[in-house]
Formats: sequence, C-alpha cells, structure tokens
Amino acid sequence: MTVYSLFSFLLALAVTLWSSPVSASSDYHEQLFLQPLPQSSLLASFNFRGNTSQQSFDNQHFQYFPRALGQILQHAHTKELHLRFSTGRWDAESWGPRPWNGSKEGGTGVELWAWIDAADDEEAFAKWITLTQSLSGLFCASLNFVDSTRTTRPVVSFEPTGDHPKVDGLHLLHGTLPGEVVCTENLTPFLKLLPCKGKAGISTLFDGHKLFDAAWQSMSVDMRPICPSDGDCIVQIEQTVDMVLDIERSKRPRSNPIPRPVPNEQLLCDTSKPYNSHDTCYPLEKASGNAWSLQEVFGRTLNGVCPLADSDEQQSVCLRVPHERQVFHSEGAVEQKKADGFTRCFSLSSSQPFDLSIPEQAVQTEVALEEPVLHAERTIVGHGQERGGMRIIFGNPSKTTDVDFILFESLPWYLRPYIHTLQATITGPDGVPREVPASELVTGTFYRPAIDRERGTQLELALSVPAASTVTLTYDFEKAILRYNEYPPDANRGFNVAPAVIRILNAPDSAPIYIRSTSLLLPLPTPDFSMPYNVIILTSTVIALAFGTVFNILVRRVVSVDEAAALGAQSLKGRILGKLVAIRDRIKKKETKVE
Amino acid sequence: MAVDRRKVAVFGAAFVLRLLLICLFPSLPDLLTGRVEVSTPVNSFKRLQEGLYLYTRNVSPYDGGVFHQAPLLLPLFSLLPDVNSNPIPTAIFYFLVDLVNAHALATISESGQSVQSRLHSAMRKHIRWDGTSVAAWFLFNPFTIATCLARSTSVFTTSGILLAVSNAVSGNTLNAMLALGLASYLSMYPALLFVPLALLCYDQRAQKSAQAPSSGLFILQHGAILSGSIAGLLGLSILITGNFWEFMSATYGFHLLVPDLTPNVGLWWYFFIEMFDSFREFFLGVFWLHLASYVGGLTARLRRQPLFIITSLLGVFAVFKPYPSISDASLYFALLPLYRHLFPLMRYTFFAISALLYSSLLGPAFYHLWIYAGSGNANFFYAITLVWSLGLSILLADSIFAALRDEWEQDHPERKGQEVKQV
Repeated sequence: MTVYSLFSFLLALAVTLWSSPVSASSDYHEQLFLQPLPQSSLLASFNFRGNTSQQSFDNQHFQYFPRALGQILQHAHTKELHLRFSTGRWDAESWGPRPWNGSKEGGTGVELWAWIDAADDEEAFAKWITLTQSLSGLFCASLNFVDSTRTTRPVVSFEPTGDHPKVDGLHLLHGTLPGEVVCTENLTPFLKLLPCKGKAGISTLFDGHKLFDAAWQSMSVDMRPICPSDGDCIVQIEQTVDMVLDIERSKRPRSNPIPRPVPNEQLLCDTSKPYNSHDTCYPLEKASGNAWSLQEVFGRTLNGVCPLADSDEQQSVCLRVPHERQVFHSEGAVEQKKADGFTRCFSLSSSQPFDLSIPEQAVQTEVALEEPVLHAERTIVGHGQERGGMRIIFGNPSKTTDVDFILFESLPWYLRPYIHTLQATITGPDGVPREVPASELVTGTFYRPAIDRERGTQLELALSVPAASTVTLTYDFEKAILRYNEYPPDANRGFNVAPAVIRILNAPDSAPIYIRSTSLLLPLPTPDFSMPYNVIILTSTVIALAFGTVFNILVRRVVSVDEAAALGAQSLKGRILGKLVAIRDRIKKKETKVE
Repeated sequence: MAVDRRKVAVFGAAFVLRLLLICLFPSLPDLLTGRVEVSTPVNSFKRLQEGLYLYTRNVSPYDGGVFHQAPLLLPLFSLLPDVNSNPIPTAIFYFLVDLVNAHALATISESGQSVQSRLHSAMRKHIRWDGTSVAAWFLFNPFTIATCLARSTSVFTTSGILLAVSNAVSGNTLNAMLALGLASYLSMYPALLFVPLALLCYDQRAQKSAQAPSSGLFILQHGAILSGSIAGLLGLSILITGNFWEFMSATYGFHLLVPDLTPNVGLWWYFFIEMFDSFREFFLGVFWLHLASYVGGLTARLRRQPLFIITSLLGVFAVFKPYPSISDASLYFALLPLYRHLFPLMRYTFFAISALLYSSLLGPAFYHLWIYAGSGNANFFYAITLVWSLGLSILLADSIFAALRDEWEQDHPERKGQEVKQV
C-alpha cells in the first residue's frame, strides 16, 4: 500500500505554487488543510498568500499586500522578513514530521529574522531596531525588547528564500523572545493583515479561545521578493497558521469546560493488561476515531469564500482521511476526491456557510505518518543555582543514511557557556554509549562569546549523526548573578532560554528542513530584593569600622597609662571638670558659713 | 654549600602532601576550582582554560565576557599539556610556584628586616621564627593548599609580590621593581605597593652605602623602572592579542569597573548587586579611593618599617579589593609570622581568630544553603563575608597597633611593658 503523507502533499503544493509565480502575480490565495492525527488530535493548517508586483510595491500601491506592514518594511529597508508566534510543543513521536517541514514554524514565543539592506553592521542594527519597534506596535508583541543582547547574526543557519538582486548589502539579523506569551492580542492584528480580515473565507474559523487552547500552534508571516527569470519581480506575503487541536478538549462547551470522566460502560479497556479487572482499566483509543465537525472543533462554521481569492481555485478546504471514511458537508459545496486515496477537497459556495462533519466509523486503512528525519531534544542538567550543563540529544532513526545538520543556539549573556567542556557521546545501533572527541562529529563551528549586558552567545555547529545512532552533546555553563534591578518581578521563576534551531542539510535541491527544540527555563541565583538599604548600611558600617579603627590608631599618639592621666588633667575635659569641682566646693563653703 | 636539611624536609613534605591530595582525591582540584571562595572571575582556572581554548583556535579570548586574565598567561599555559587528559604536569607546575613563593618568604624572614631595619629595631627581637618555620607556616596553611590545588592564577601575583619583597630585602632593587611590575601587570592592585617597596629598597641602599642617595631621585628612578617593566609586558601582550584596547578593557577595565558580581569573600559583590543604578559609579569611586587611602596613611605613619607597611597593605587588599579570594588572605597570613615579636602586644587575637575560623567554617555551609539547598538566601553568605572582613580588619588594626606600640617602646626603652593608651 503506498501512502503519501500530508506533508509531502503540502510541500508539493507549495512547490507548484512557487514554480508558477507569474500566473500568480498580483493575486490572492487561501487554503485550509485538515488532518486527524493520533491521540484524538486534529491538525489544521491555514495558508494565505498575497502577491503584488515589485513596481507597485515600490510606488506604495500595495493591493493584496497589507499597507501597514508594507510601509514598515520600506521604512526599515527590509528586503525579506520572517516573523513567528508559537506556543506549545510539536509531539514529533506521535505526530510525525512537522508541517511545511518546519519552515513555517518558530521557537516558543516570538521569533523574527530579516534581511536588511544597509551599508554596514551598525546601520543594519539601527534599521533592525526600527523594524522591531514598529512590528512591536503592529502586532501588539514585546518585540521592542529585542535589543542587542537578544539579536544574533546567524552565519549558516538561515538562507534567504526569496530572489534578491544584490546579496552583498543584505544583513541577516535574528531575534527571539522565548518568554513571550502569544495570545489573542497577536491574532487580531494578524487577521487584519488579510484582505478579508476574518469576515469571509477560511479565516472566519479563527477563534482566539480555540486557537490558543491548542496543544501546539504557530502563526507565521513571511515576506519575500520573487523574481522569475522571465518576468517582473513580485513581492509575496504569506501568512500561515498551523495548529494541533485536541478534539475532545475542543468539543467541550465553553460554558462548561470542566472535563467529565467517560461513563464506565463506555470505557474501552485493554484486556491484555495483567491488571485489567472490573475496577482497573487501561483505556484504549477508539478504533473508530473521533466524531467531529468544524462547528464543534472551531466553535463556528466557515463563512463562504473570500471574494478576493482566485476564482479558478475554489478548492479552499482539503481534508486528509481515507476515502472510505464518510464525510458529510453542508449544501452548496462540491467534494472532489484526489487520486492518492486519502485527500479530498471541497469547492465552497460563495454565499452559504460551510461545515464538515465526520462521524465515528471503523476503517481499514489509516493515513500513515512518515518518520521525522531527526529527533532532537535539549535540556538543562545539573542542580543548584551556580552552574549547570546543557545536554542536546540527537537521534537519527534512519537505518541507512547519515544526517548532516546545523545546530544554532543563541544564549542569553547571563548563561556563560564553557565551550572547552563540549563533549560528545555516541550510541550506535549496539546501544553502547562511548565518548568521542567533539571534533569527530562537529565539522564546523562558529562561536561568538557573550559580553555582559551587551550581546548574547551565538553558537553554530555543523554536525553529522551516523545512521541509527544517537549523539549526545554536553557542555558546562555558569549562571551569572545579576544586579537587583535586572531581575523581572517573578525572579525565582527563572529566565527563558531561546530554543535551538536545527537546520537539516540532507537534500541540497529541496527546501531545508527545520526543527526547533523547546525553550528552557534557567533559574538564576537571586539576591534578597527587600534589603538594598540594609546591605548598603551594613557594608558601609564594616568599611567605616575598619577605616575608623585603622586611622584612629594611625593618627593618635601612644603614651603610657600614667602619662595619659597626667595629660588628661590638661585637656579641655579635665579643665572643665576642675572648674566644676571648684564651684561645688565654693557652694559647700557658703552653706557652712550660713550655718 | 651546606644544605639546610630542615628546610628540605619542609619543602619536600609540602610537595608530597599536595601530590598525595591530588592522587588520593582526583576530583579535588576541580571541586576547589568551582568554589567561589577560591576562584573569582579574575583568577579562575576554568575561565583560563576557556580563554586558552579560544586562544588556541584563533578566536580573541577578550571578545567575550568570560576571560579577564593577563594575556601572557595564555602562551605560558599553552605550553603545558592538556589538563583534562593529563592534569599532573600542570599541578606540579603550581606546586613548584608554591615552593618558589615559600623560598622567597624564607629569604625575607632570614634577612631579619622585620625586626631590624635602618630606622627601626624591635624590642623583642628574640621572639621570632626562623625562615623555615615561616615557610612551613605558609606551605601548610590550608588556604594556600586550597589555592594551589584550585590552580588559581593569583599564585603568580603572589610570587610577583613575594619575589619583589625578597629582592628588595636582599638589595636587588632592579629585580624587585621588575617582579612588582609582573605582579601589577597580572592583577593591577600590586602597583599600590610601589611606594612602600621603594622605601624598603631605599633603606637597604642607604644602609649599605656610606652616603644615602637622594630619596626623591631614587623613587623617581624606581618608578621609571616599574613603569618600564609594565610597559614591556603590555608590549608583549599586544604581540599576543593584537587588539590593545580590547584586552585592556577586558582585564584592567574589568578590575576597575567590577561588572561581574559573582559571589566571593569580599564586600563589593553584594553591595553592587543591591546598589541603586544612579549611585553605582559614585560608590565604585569611593571604594577604590578607600582602598588607595590606606597607602598614604600607613606609609606616613609607619615610615620606619616599610616591610610592615607592605604586610598591612596586603591585609587591606585581602579585605577591600574588588575580587578577593582566600589566596589574598593566605598571602597576608604568610607575611604576618614575620612579626612574631608583635604577637605579645596584640590585644584582640582571640576575637579575630575566632571570627576568621567561624566564617571559614560557616561560609561554605551558608553558601550551600543559599545556592543548592534553597533553604537560605543570599543574606546568609553575605553575612559570613561581613564577619570574615570584620575578623581580618580587626587583626589588621590590632597588628598596626602592636607595631606602633613597638615603635613607642623603642623610643622609650625605660617604659617597656607598661600599659599604654592612645590619645
């Protein structure tokens, strides 16, 4: 049985669309893919793409390109832009490879990289700051906090996806905000960039409550110029939203979101477990799959089609389930099954709302998932707030081919890596771990160490993992202690460390595959925030005590005790005491006279 | 030449003790290297290794926030075999540096400069330890052993200072200035010792030659030698690093501005963590001025005993410099036994020694409570550093008092042993 994965389909579609940019010039296109994933999950992948010709873009005639974004890009001399908002974690072990091969995905939080046209590094950085400040306002995100400590200049990890007439003057800058919480305030400006602004077409399905309740979601904005060999250049904006919804969770009514246990008689138990009995159950996933509809999962139905979208491409919703599976759809839409046996697309009616409904049904065939090319996992090891270690595990599931990739890490300056402690352990197919010198696996290194309060660490390693092996990289780091006002209000929560970006190089002619690790939480030692005054006072006291004692000893004269008594009589205090005694004596004398 | 068998035994025992420690406890050096009491950002061996790693791969080690030590250490340590695969040669190198330091100390002690100098003669000359005992006191001090095993680069500064003093008391004024130049080049603060060291050299010269040279000219000459030696070392450093301002700001700028607030036994780190931003520069200036102020005060009052000025200043540095470690305290404790004759005149020895013992035992415990156990907070360790500084400064003040009293007794031999008072 031959099956194609959704992802290769997505990729094939993307390639077809890339290869025909001239016909797609100054057009608008949108598409939704739906695919049920194991563990009652549903992947929904929205894609919106608008083109405008370079000439009209330069003349500020934006057409399908959002004006707000276009003017920012022109002002900051940005030739290519990639902006990502992500939350959650893609579970590669259950869900397989990432949609779009990870190229439309960002690390947890906000990630931004752009090619800026500038004469030198300083000018590029100034324009980058302009860009981040403006985008911060446009997307209601804290992008203005992308300062020099969070900006890196990757050397080999990213390459421009557009066609640039001159590459010399372009500077790539990359910034991440791993702690940014992506939420509805970022979705609203994202929708406003679309021509139909969430009023018609597939974008009507977006509901912040559902989108940000997903197990994983990633919103992206990509802008790039495309210059076909035979035609005028166009500027393309592509916006995508990918999310993995938990069907069970999404189907709960908003008014009553508390999960209820499945009634006993509906529980499916794994009877092969030794502990299975009338009161012990290992629940099984339903073989018939979950029943769901767009209305149930997204909380609303799809409201017609966006009238600005290409009229010849009406199949804006595609679903990937086996053909034998029953799918009900609302009236007015036309279903078309593709030849691969799994994909069906729907042409929607422009005026009627559209809904899909999939009942529970036991099916013979299943949509097989591909194995990801590489598994990657990054964790902080060690205990205590003084030092720790970073451990990155790469697993190559392939039995035959090696994987070559680039690991890109940008670390905050208060995490001080000791790169001389970089060690590698390799576990071959025999399962025996053995230590190897890191230089055996690392074929290239680019390392720019951090400078306190100025810039972060940038580390790019070119690595190779042999077939059916697991490689573990470790290095030590030290945690800096900061000034009391450099800690956030929730200082003991820890600091976010940006995810590592992995770019897999295996296929030279096709688009690269990207994987991002999860972000990390780094606890730092904290001072006592309540007592700056006390510390200033106590330290000053000790210093004053030492200074006072030493200089008191130095400036005074040494005399013996009897001399001191004699000297004491001549001092001011001695003379005053003498006067007092004399006065007392005189008064006493007078009293005796009166008697 | 007769070999001093006792001295050989002490030196040999110190060497064997260190060797035994690293052979029996192979993880001890790395453990000590990680202790904040021993390793500070300016003398940590781990940071040196990181700098070395970058240096051998043609990356500038100063273009980063980790390495802040003098550039000449890099080619020196790149000659030694890799410490991870073969730690013994590096360790033995450090042991030998320790022995050189102890030998310099023995030379200082045997010169008798601490009890009898040109302008001063102590009253209790008979109460003193010989050179071997002073060297043994240094070599078997746990603080010295810990510093040596942790491979802290302060031991090179220590040798610079001790060699400078030992050359000065033997009359080799040129070598003394060159050694002080090395120490100043490595950690900057020893430059403050120039005035008392020049006085020590001057006294030696005046004592030996029939006609005393002009003091102003003498100090100018030696200042020029010191500046020349520092300039020469900086010139060599430019050959190594290439970028002058980069390494100047990463090493001396780092000492001056104290940007890294990693905990240590000193007073600066917590003060500048908690300091309000607008006052940070002001207090940096105040702290440095305070440190420098002792040079003038001590030199003016204790002019007759330049070696004692140096000893006391080393005590001041151990408390008040920006990144102190126990190696600075061990240097002060090494020179203090030269003044064994002052011990009977000191008044608060019990209190000072108790405070020092208390803080050296509780310090690691409180640090553990703060960083690892999480049951204490930063104030625990901070309080211990306060006690440590207080103990050291009481010891310092007490020894200065004893020295002044000794001078007074020399001026008034008839009143020896009487109760005294300061007015």
